[in-house]
Amino acid sequence: MFVQQLINGITVGGIYALIALGYTMVYGILKIVNFAHGDVFMIGGFMGLILAQTTNLPIWIAYPLAMLITALIGVLIERICYRPIRLHGADALAILISALGVSIFLENFAQLVWGTETHAYVQKIQRTAYNIAGITLSNIQIGVIVLCIILMIVLYLVVNKTKMGMAMRATSQSITSAQLMGINTEKVIALTFGVGSALACVAGILVGTYYDAVYPLIGYSYGLKAFAAAILGGIGSVPGAMLGGFLLGIVETLGAGYISTGYRDAFAFGILILVLLFRPSGLLGKKHVDKV
Amino acid sequence: MKKRISRRFIVSGLTAVMAVGLLTGCGSSGKSDTIEIGLATPLTGASAQDGQAIENGVELAVKQANDAGGIDGKQIEVVVEDDKGDASEAATVANMLVQNDNIVGVVGHFNSSCTLAGATIYNDAGIVQISPGSSAEAVSEAGDYTFRTITTDAVQGRYLAEWCVNDLGYHNIAVLYENDDYGLGLADVIQRETEALGATVVAREAYEVNQTDFSTVLTKVAASDADVMIIGGLYNETALIAKQMGDNGLEGMQIMGVDAIYSDALIELGGDAVNGIKLTAYFSDASDSEVTQSFIKAYTDEYGEAPGTYAAYAYDAANIILDAVANVGTDRAAIRDYIADLKDFDGVTGITSFDENGDVIKEPLRMEIINGAFETVDM
Repeated sequence: MFVQQLINGITVGGIYALIALGYTMVYGILKIVNFAHGDVFMIGGFMGLILAQTTNLPIWIAYPLAMLITALIGVLIERICYRPIRLHGADALAILISALGVSIFLENFAQLVWGTETHAYVQKIQRTAYNIAGITLSNIQIGVIVLCIILMIVLYLVVNKTKMGMAMRATSQSITSAQLMGINTEKVIALTFGVGSALACVAGILVGTYYDAVYPLIGYSYGLKAFAAAILGGIGSVPGAMLGGFLLGIVETLGAGYISTGYRDAFAFGILILVLLFRPSGLLGKKHVDKV
Repeated sequence: MKKRISRRFIVSGLTAVMAVGLLTGCGSSGKSDTIEIGLATPLTGASAQDGQAIENGVELAVKQANDAGGIDGKQIEVVVEDDKGDASEAATVANMLVQNDNIVGVVGHFNSSCTLAGATIYNDAGIVQISPGSSAEAVSEAGDYTFRTITTDAVQGRYLAEWCVNDLGYHNIAVLYENDDYGLGLADVIQRETEALGATVVAREAYEVNQTDFSTVLTKVAASDADVMIIGGLYNETALIAKQMGDNGLEGMQIMGVDAIYSDALIELGGDAVNGIKLTAYFSDASDSEVTQSFIKAYTDEYGEAPGTYAAYAYDAANIILDAVANVGTDRAAIRDYIADLKDFDGVTGITSFDENGDVIKEPLRMEIINGAFETVDM
């Protein structure tokens, strides 16, 4: 059972990690928590469902298209709801409240358009379960894990090896300095929201495909767990979000599996508190010293 | 079934209490040519949809009685009060209803909190109250004049346990339940009753309402020796459990549940995966009972939609009061005694009798999902 639960934990952890990346990237650059990100994940899930349901597009076109639309929604949210406040010089608290507003708007929008009920996902991939030495693994589960890891490697390479990534890292160190170096920081910020939202969309589609469900308030629990994962790994750190996601998924699954399923969420947030007690900046977070 | 207790409208409830204080003494008095039935149900607020169904059920029962010539030549009227699903509001409307001398009995309330709030008032006034929707344990102790046509979760859990262990022969039980009062209560009942019949609960796992990932829970069930899963929860999670079983090494395991999973949404969401699920239910359009089928037809003709569970419970509640009046007249104490002794009333939600607490005793239907539809079955 241990290996099986470990695989379950890695699967859900990979999904947390994908969502956590959106939180951590935005925080890294703007130092704000985008509380609407969980709902962007939900919208992404619905986009994948709708495109697969209403069009005859094969999934390798439909799902990237869903990612693109969700990315645009993410950019639009930043443009309409955060940028005006930011450029006004208001503090992060004002943006946080705006983010909560966006979250409420998206949830209610989804309930109005798609109804409050849980929707079954369109299963475009034939599900096959394999039994290897007493461990059940499905092709979709393998796909989820592999895809999460590939996307993380790609993102890591983009951030660390490309010019755009360098611009992102520069912006995250100091927006003003980056601007002085000739970096179009507004473009970098828009790109950050776009990439984060596209990854959330992938997570939404993966949850839909693997667990076969999507509903308007699904972003709440996944968003909260992913946010915890981002904090756990050290918010602002891209590898930290990945580590935090997997760790959170594995801890909650093993805790639920070996101690009690009723305390599943307690394990997830318990590990968060435990880590923060000893490493307040998270596992891979940089020590942050505020100079007075 | 599950009941949400709303704590809203407290302020408006208090205001209404004061308003009633001013109006006290305005209640009608003296005997008249009509017989009145009180109806206290939430017509606004969170439970409004169920409350409206309850009103429809009661109005239909009364209309049918009037069309048949009334009782002793007298026509029957329904006095409708909106309790808003709020306990303080419920006390207000209960006070209004008991002051009307023409009222022979009350159908109400829906939410358990409201039924309990009203119960004291009805019992003090000596007027029969039949709830069509309150399944909480506490209603059993509410008083001699308080009855209900919905069963407690314990009754259904006991029946399900007998079906599962004695008739189907499952002895290693996995109980999966939602992590709240409702699910926990149901899990306790199922564990107690199945173990009393000699079975063993080999896994007892909780999940959160709206959870999507059941792999951890199902892996634990797979690692136990369970040969059946009993769900103490609602249809959404049941559908997801059924769909995720295959990925977690539980292909083909029997799932059983109570009437809380009886919903078309279970089949819509679950698709092929929910075929074969066995459940208990009291009201179903698949029932072969004649009264049930003629009720469904009459209701659909009247309102243009098929009746739900609560409309059916309310219809039975109203008919029980009308039956009492037809047999013993309008004396409130005589009505109470008649209903307390009522045996085998042929209602649309089953053959109904009451125990000493005023709780209904009736056998649920055994149902199974066959080819994407609920069907009644023998085993």
